[in-house]
Amino acid sequence: MRLWAVLALLGMPLTAQSVQSRLEGRIPSDAVPVVDSLVQVALHEGLPSEPLVQKALEGGAKQVPSPRIVAAVQASLGQLRDAHELLVRAGDQPPIRAGEVTTVAWALRRKVPPSTVAHVVTELPHPPRAAAIHAIADLVAHGFDPDSSAGLIIAAVHGGLQRDRLLDVSTAALHEVQRGRTRDEAIAVVRQQLPNVPGPPKPERGTITRAHRPDTPSPP
Amino acid sequence: MNTIDARIHQVLDGELPADALPAEQRDATDAIRAAADLLAAPVPVRSLESRVMAEIHRPAPSFARRVTAWLATPHAITFRVRPVWSLAFAAAAAVFTLFYARDVGPQLGEHEGIAQFVGRFPDARSVHVVGTFNDWRPGTIALQDLDHDGVWTATVVLPAGTYEYMFVVDGERWVPDHLADRLVADDFGRENSVVIVRPVHR
Repeated sequence: MRLWAVLALLGMPLTAQSVQSRLEGRIPSDAVPVVDSLVQVALHEGLPSEPLVQKALEGGAKQVPSPRIVAAVQASLGQLRDAHELLVRAGDQPPIRAGEVTTVAWALRRKVPPSTVAHVVTELPHPPRAAAIHAIADLVAHGFDPDSSAGLIIAAVHGGLQRDRLLDVSTAALHEVQRGRTRDEAIAVVRQQLPNVPGPPKPERGTITRAHRPDTPSPP
Repeated sequence: MNTIDARIHQVLDGELPADALPAEQRDATDAIRAAADLLAAPVPVRSLESRVMAEIHRPAPSFARRVTAWLATPHAITFRVRPVWSLAFAAAAAVFTLFYARDVGPQLGEHEGIAQFVGRFPDARSVHVVGTFNDWRPGTIALQDLDHDGVWTATVVLPAGTYEYMFVVDGERWVPDHLADRLVADDFGRENSVVIVRPVHR
């Protein structure tokens, strides 16, 4: 524990330096210290900081004025806090993975009700749950009932589907709607198919040949 | 060297009856005659047929033993190639390396996938995609419209994950991807498109 504290103290200035270096020249100079302090708050609270940096960089790239950048970063910090608290209330033990907090915050931004997210966390106690939550968010965004969507994805997990294959479940339900079924019918049909939902098409050889790697992709 | 009595010679030659000899010489005569018969008898030789049949009836060695024996036995391999064919082969290998092997694209890691960005911007001079995958840095990932039909595309290798992005048209106009399945508010009054990149090697 003492070693951890020492390492944290040693690492904090480096983290601050690296955050400032990423922000300088990318956002208005008066916003840099404010955003940096918000990032330090996030680190202190055990929250992921990368979404805050990304939000600031996004605002800078879109040439948004400083007050709006700071407000957006503060809003993101609030979303991360809400997500962290939701995960703890639902039974996750701190320290909680940064990816889980980010995913839940993202789902809340996509209007997935907190009660639905909490239900998923309780039913699927073992992270990672990102794919499950993304699949539910996709269904909710297309007008499916949140609880029915969660029920379908949880059933898919219990049926043996994992990780990205859960995205195929939501895609299958969306395809059923495109074929003319109601959303309730679509969920019922896909639930009957489980776990045999079609997978995604593999990229063609030409697609891979054309692909190129950006210089410095940021981690998600 | 012992000499043989002349009368024994005579008996062996049939010039004297054996009875004409004393008992001791008769025994010697019989011994000599038996030895002569033994020397005169033909040596038993197996016929070719019997030897072939014996080989046929011998159980064949197992497959593993034959493979082991083959592997352990040195073999001479001889290539007879005309120099002109060698040059032709080298030229074909060079062509393959220069043109085909160069176009196989990037090697994808276990946790990498491919994102395809497509947008229709008929009057655009340039289109870039900007998002959380490139720190929202404009100008790093350009879309192309090679056939000038107004449809701009880019195919990019990214680590698997979820990314928010927008298109930047002509360096100043920010436009969401209307073909994206997912949109999310950007907290600046607009919406970002969202792409989930799945690993190609599942």
